[in-house]
Parts: sequence; structure tokens; C-alpha cells
Amino acid sequence: MNHAIISCLHANLPAVEAVLNDIDRQGIKTITCLGDLVGYGPQPNEVVELIRKRGIATCQGCWDEDIIDGLNACECSYPSQLAERRGHLAHQWTDDQLTDENKSFLANLPTSLRRDRLLFVHGSPNSQHEYLLPDMDAFAALERVETAGADILFCGHTHQPYVRELRGGSIHVRLQNADHDSGQREELTLPMRKIVNAGSVGEPRHGTTNATYVIHNDATDEVEIKEVAYDVGRTCQAIVEAGLPKVFAWRLSHGFEFAEQAEDASHVCER
Amino acid sequence: MIERWALVSGLLGDLETYDLIQRDLKKTRGVTSLFVLGDLVGPERNCDALLDRLKNPHRGDLKPDCIYGWWEEQLLAERGFRGERKADALRLSQGEDAVNALLNTVNPSHLNWLASLQFGFIELDCALIHGSSSDVGDNLTSETSPLILLDRLTRLNVNRLFTARSTKQFHLELTGGGINSQVKDLNGKREQQQEVPKRSVIGIGAGVHYTLYDVGSDKTHFLTAGSKTNPKRKGFA
Ligand SMILES: [Zn+2]
Ligand SMILES: [Zn+2]
Repeated sequence: MNHAIISCLHANLPAVEAVLNDIDRQGIKTITCLGDLVGYGPQPNEVVELIRKRGIATCQGCWDEDIIDGLNACECSYPSQLAERRGHLAHQWTDDQLTDENKSFLANLPTSLRRDRLLFVHGSPNSQHEYLLPDMDAFAALERVETAGADILFCGHTHQPYVRELRGGSIHVRLQNADHDSGQREELTLPMRKIVNAGSVGEPRHGTTNATYVIHNDATDEVEIKEVAYDVGRTCQAIVEAGLPKVFAWRLSHGFEFAEQAEDASHVCER
Repeated sequence: MIERWALVSGLLGDLETYDLIQRDLKKTRGVTSLFVLGDLVGPERNCDALLDRLKNPHRGDLKPDCIYGWWEEQLLAERGFRGERKADALRLSQGEDAVNALLNTVNPSHLNWLASLQFGFIELDCALIHGSSSDVGDNLTSETSPLILLDRLTRLNVNRLFTARSTKQFHLELTGGGINSQVKDLNGKREQQQEVPKRSVIGIGAGVHYTLYDVGSDKTHFLTAGSKTNPKRKGFA
């Protein structure tokens, strides 16, 4: 059966509507959302209410967490100080706009969802703020999936969709204990695991302005990355009208974050 | 100078054991540094005398470089040095009595010094930490999945991780292996082959069980203070 995974909606209503239409058109009934319903975009209440109305299973994103807990994330969430300042502005604006009811919905979202061998998280099983980038150390990537006891890990947060298959892995070790002198050798065969990043519906950074999401077939394990065009101009105009930093509109109309890549993707927020 | 490190942990306030180790080290050739990787304090006995000795070494003592461990973390948290957090891990695993016992073993005059201790040392290409960079309570043993051990090494980007939390003595070397990774995104597919880096995790033991490490030759010697073991025989190349 096909099911759809969406992430990083970021208060961009036209993008969310376009993606949900695309999913509905294919007759897909199960949708899972990996969080970041709000932040950057101009329609936080509308997006939260649409997800609530549709009853879409959702886990909590980094923005959803921060709106509730306050901005206590370490700077690792932001690739630069400039980005951090803009992030704070957007945070303040979103905090002012969101209704108490919608805040309480975000506050009560689980940090992960599990269905059999599928695990759904926002950043990584360790933290909503950890980036699992497509080229991160392959063993570290596998460790995230393995330690969480999943076969396939669905995540978002990077705003770049990808499917990563980790296979044919092995680790050879030599062990010396206090009790015996000679090194004892062992070979561990690592299981095949997948990481699927759903990209971003409302704030894509993969190079085009299209919203992205993924479809997974749980019988064949096939994953398809989908791109959906939507009315970017409408959202950009709403961003400007709301008085949010214009760079958010610029970024949406270009589809990437200008010179703002996370510097240390392996950094784990230890707050 | 050829470096030889002595690595000690889990003294839990036991000055006699520390004294035994210091005496051992005096008889051992070429020890250049003494690292005490946490758990200086514990709930079982008064720790003040040991803390005094660590802070003010006797003449002839090898000067100890200390970091904090799991027990210090519990103590400092309960004493308000960790923000909102209290000794939750201890309370959960051993109950309220254990928390109170711990509070009673350390004179509050030592708290500021304990709070000034670092989480770990990076020396050359080695990390010296009580647990791991993931957590001070990370319990790494020789039975821990090598995938997790490799992850802990990767997080720190070091070739050797010295850990103490498990109280076990072991030297686990990653000697080979690899993994294939295929990434598919909107630009297409790419394959990548990655090899297991030659790295190790060393459990240094606790209490009378301590470890000598020869930096130049990458040899570990697992020792027991007070016993007549020749470090050469226990060498691990
Ligand atoms: Zn996001
Ligand atoms: Zn995020």
C-alpha cells in the first residue's frame, strides 16, 4: 500500500494545499507529517488547523518544539548568526499569531511515530534539531536507524529530499580484555537500512521552488520523491504583507538557502 | 619525551585505593600523566579526604588531571549546578536514599571545584571521557555494538576513545570492514563506498583496576593496583 510522508510545512498554506491535493488525487489515504508546521511562513494557524482537521498523524518538529518551549535550542539550529537573527524574528511573529489552542496542539505532538518497522521523526531519533544530511558518515547514519530499532527511518528538517540505502556493511574488530592476552577477532555483518528524507512542503531548499514530499510503498519498499508546483507568488506576497523578513520570500522564490548550510551536520544538540 | 599515561576512574571516595595506585605508579617507569576519568565520589563512604588529596597532591604524587563522571554529575545536579535538572538518573535507578547518601559523602566546600571539572580531555588524537560524548552515563563495553562504538568515535573525530563508565577493562580495535551507500535525490543517484577507519575504544576499568597507555606504541596495559603484575606481559600490540 502506498502512503505519503510530508514534512516542514512552515506555515505555507498554498504549498500544503497543493501537496494534499496531489496526494488525494492518487487515492492515498495514509499521510504522516514529520513536523515543522510553523515558522518562516505567513499562515501558521491555517496550516495547523488544516492538519488537525484532516487528522494527519504528526510528530513534533524543531519549530513546533521551540514555539512551545521558547528558543532554548543551542545555536546549532542555525547555520549563521544572520540566520539566527531572522529565525528569532520569525519565531516572535509566529508566537504572537498562534492561538492557544494551536499552541497546545503543537505542544502535545509526539517526538516520534512508529508503525511496525517504520520510524517517523523530524530531525533524527536523537533530537528534533539534528540534521541527517544525505552525505553524512554512512556508519553514523546507519547507527541512527539501527539504535532506534527501525528498518526505515523517515525524517525531514534538512529541507532536501533524498532516499539513502545503506547496505553490505561490516565491521571487523579485535578485542583485548584484562583476562586474556591474545586479541580475539570478530566480524559483525550490518543489516540493510534506509533513510528517507521527505524534503519540505513549505520551504524547499533543493534548488527549485516546488514543494516536495515522498510516497513509500510498504509492500515493495519503493520510495518516490514527488515535486509539486504551487502558487509561490501568493505565499511570497503574504510574507511581505505580514511584515516577516523579505529574505524568506526571496528564499521561497529561489528554492534554496543562500549561503546558509548547516556547518556541522553531525553536531548533536545536547541541551 | 615518550608519553605513558595512567588512566584511573571509579575511586568513589576511596583514598586507600588512590594511594595504592600512586605507590604503583612510583614504581612504574616512565608514567608522564595521570588522568582520573570521573567518579571520584560515590555514595558509600566519605569522599572528603580523597578530594583533598586530588586537589592538593602529596609530594611525590603524580599530579592528577581530573574530569567529572556520572556520580559527580548526579551530585552537582542535585546541588543545583545543572539548572533545572536534579539527580534524576540516580533517583530513578537507586531511589531517594541513594541520593541522600551521596549528598552526605561530600562536604559542600568541594562543590565548586567539582563543578569546575571538564567533561573530557582531547589529548593528541585521543578523547578521554567518563562515558562518551553522547552522555556522561554512556555505558560502553566490549559487548556494545561496534556500530555504536564507531559512532561515538565519529562524533568526536578521534582515533581513540578512553571510557570508564562501564568499569570494564578492554581494548577494542576496529580493524576493517566497510559499507555501501546509495543516495537517490532529485538530481539522480550516486554510490559511495566507505571503509571502517582504524580506531579503538579503550575501557580503563575502575577502582584498583586501572590502565597504562603507551602513546607512541599504542599499547594498553591493564593493571590492578597492589598486585605484582609486570606491565610488559599484559601488553597489547
Ligand atoms: Zn523545517
Ligand atoms: Zn526543523
